[in-house]
Amino acid sequence: MKKLFGTKNMKKTTKDSFITYAMVILVFLIVQIMVGTGSMSSLLQGLLVPLCIYSIAAIGLNLCVGYLGELSLGHAGFMCVGAFSSAFFTKYMMDTGMNEILRFIIALIIGTLTAAFFGFLIGIPVLRLRGDYLAIVTLAFGEIIKNVMNVLYIVKDKDGLHFSMSDAASLNMAEEGTFLINGPKGIIGTPHQSTFTIGVILILVSLFVVYNLVNSRSGRAIMAIRDNRIAAESVGIPITKFKLMAFTLSAAIAGMGGVLYAHNLSTLTALPANFGYNMSIMLLVFVVLGGMGSFRGSIIAAVLLTMLPEVLRGLSDYRMLIYAVVLIAMMLFNWAPKAIEWRQRHSLKDMFTKKTKGVQ
Amino acid sequence: MALLEVKNLGISFGGLRAVDDFQISIQKGQLYGLIGPNGAGKTTVFNMLTGVYKPDNGVIELDGKGITGQRTIDINKAGIARTFQNIRLFKNQSVLDNVKVGLHNNHPYSALTAVLRLPKYRRVEAEMNERARELLKVFGLEEKRDYLASNLPYGDQRKLEIARALATNPKLLLLDEPAAGMNPNETKELMETIRFVRDEFDMTVLLIEHDMKLVSGICEELTVLNFGQVLAKGKTGDVLNDPKVITAYLGE
Repeated sequence: MKKLFGTKNMKKTTKDSFITYAMVILVFLIVQIMVGTGSMSSLLQGLLVPLCIYSIAAIGLNLCVGYLGELSLGHAGFMCVGAFSSAFFTKYMMDTGMNEILRFIIALIIGTLTAAFFGFLIGIPVLRLRGDYLAIVTLAFGEIIKNVMNVLYIVKDKDGLHFSMSDAASLNMAEEGTFLINGPKGIIGTPHQSTFTIGVILILVSLFVVYNLVNSRSGRAIMAIRDNRIAAESVGIPITKFKLMAFTLSAAIAGMGGVLYAHNLSTLTALPANFGYNMSIMLLVFVVLGGMGSFRGSIIAAVLLTMLPEVLRGLSDYRMLIYAVVLIAMMLFNWAPKAIEWRQRHSLKDMFTKKTKGVQ
Repeated sequence: MALLEVKNLGISFGGLRAVDDFQISIQKGQLYGLIGPNGAGKTTVFNMLTGVYKPDNGVIELDGKGITGQRTIDINKAGIARTFQNIRLFKNQSVLDNVKVGLHNNHPYSALTAVLRLPKYRRVEAEMNERARELLKVFGLEEKRDYLASNLPYGDQRKLEIARALATNPKLLLLDEPAAGMNPNETKELMETIRFVRDEFDMTVLLIEHDMKLVSGICEELTVLNFGQVLAKGKTGDVLNDPKVITAYLGE
């Protein structure tokens, strides 16, 4: 049985995060070279930003599921909130001649904060309860938000903003007014500002935030609540505060993914396919298959499982079959005791530290 | 003045009067035992003292301050820390981190400080590591600080729970059956550890225990509970020879 020394304990977790940063940067460089030399198909190039979006959302969800130990089935809803609030801002500011980079940064902040606000709002009542209430409430939240976005009309004209939740006719819009949000048609004409570079930067930012939080006093408190709520209370950990902190941050990061999504398309609509229940489950699949509590795993799973159906498109009928087989293979690789043992013996971390975790 | 003064404490679960008219008075620095047959209400008393249950009636005073019915975390801040009958460690965290969770309130820095990795983060973390290692050393766990808590042997898990409780810097330490499941050697070692903790940390200890060797070995005074009521109390030797107590344990 081997063990690490105390001073290296901090380094161990730091190393874990550095491996992930390095992995992301390495992939970024490889992709840049491939794009530069023209050896990447346009299909794959179109996937680059979505890969970042799903990775970011999966990182956010992993904080909630893996570290807080609460199931959320509505992270697509937080993406939706982030996407619409940021796209709304961008659209509103579009003809004011504001600097584009500044506008995007503010939109990013607005989207992230709005998602965080909704996460906080949901968390206040629900996180006080024990059990699976969060899963139920977030599931409902995701669906409600999607439907609200489909009946929301906001128009800008010379009198200012008008908004309605029923139809466009009741807005009393002046003739030269423009739609900011046009009900089921969504937000039309947002600029394509999301690039792969921005996506990677945002992945790195989310990783930096979650890794630093998890390896701190607050992160230990969050994990203590997950592991044993009663014991955590008995040593003076304020349960609700740290649950709210983790869940709000988790929602905020998902919202950041939503901002990226909104600025990657010229038309932003809230459909079951992008912000529905299926998307939330998809994010959960990324987190569970990548390994709960492993942010690196979430990214890898998000990238593999998003790329796979596209890459296999040529095989038409067989692609969903292969997709299913890969899902099962990943599940086995991640959770089978033999596979875990093998990974512990050959893990990347050990190449740096030459030591393994204290396992009896 | 007594460190812990409990008067007329009682709680009912439905029609069952689990604890009735419980009183106890513990002086600073005492090693005090709470014993009684199974189901007598000992753990219920602990749960009321630590705010897990709200007592129906009665007064609990720690160091002259009323803490009756307060929340668990406030009672912990007021100075009561405990261990559990069925061990409750943070299983998926390292031994060192378990103790560091106990240090949470005494070594504060904000989440923002952590995320931005400000100098204060490094300073406070270094303090915490040092303090946690000192505590682990007392229990002979320093070498195992990077193990996962769930990978520790049973006896070490009990010790780690005590170390974690001590990390909150309490005035009064409640131990719920610390020797449960330990072999005689481990129990002997534990007795020495508890005495050492009392002397070294200037601690007052209230413990629930079934192991009479441990009770008679280290407890200075005892209170005996039976069917939720105080059956006897006083000096350990006197109480253990009380015919009422012997009857309660062994039957008529």
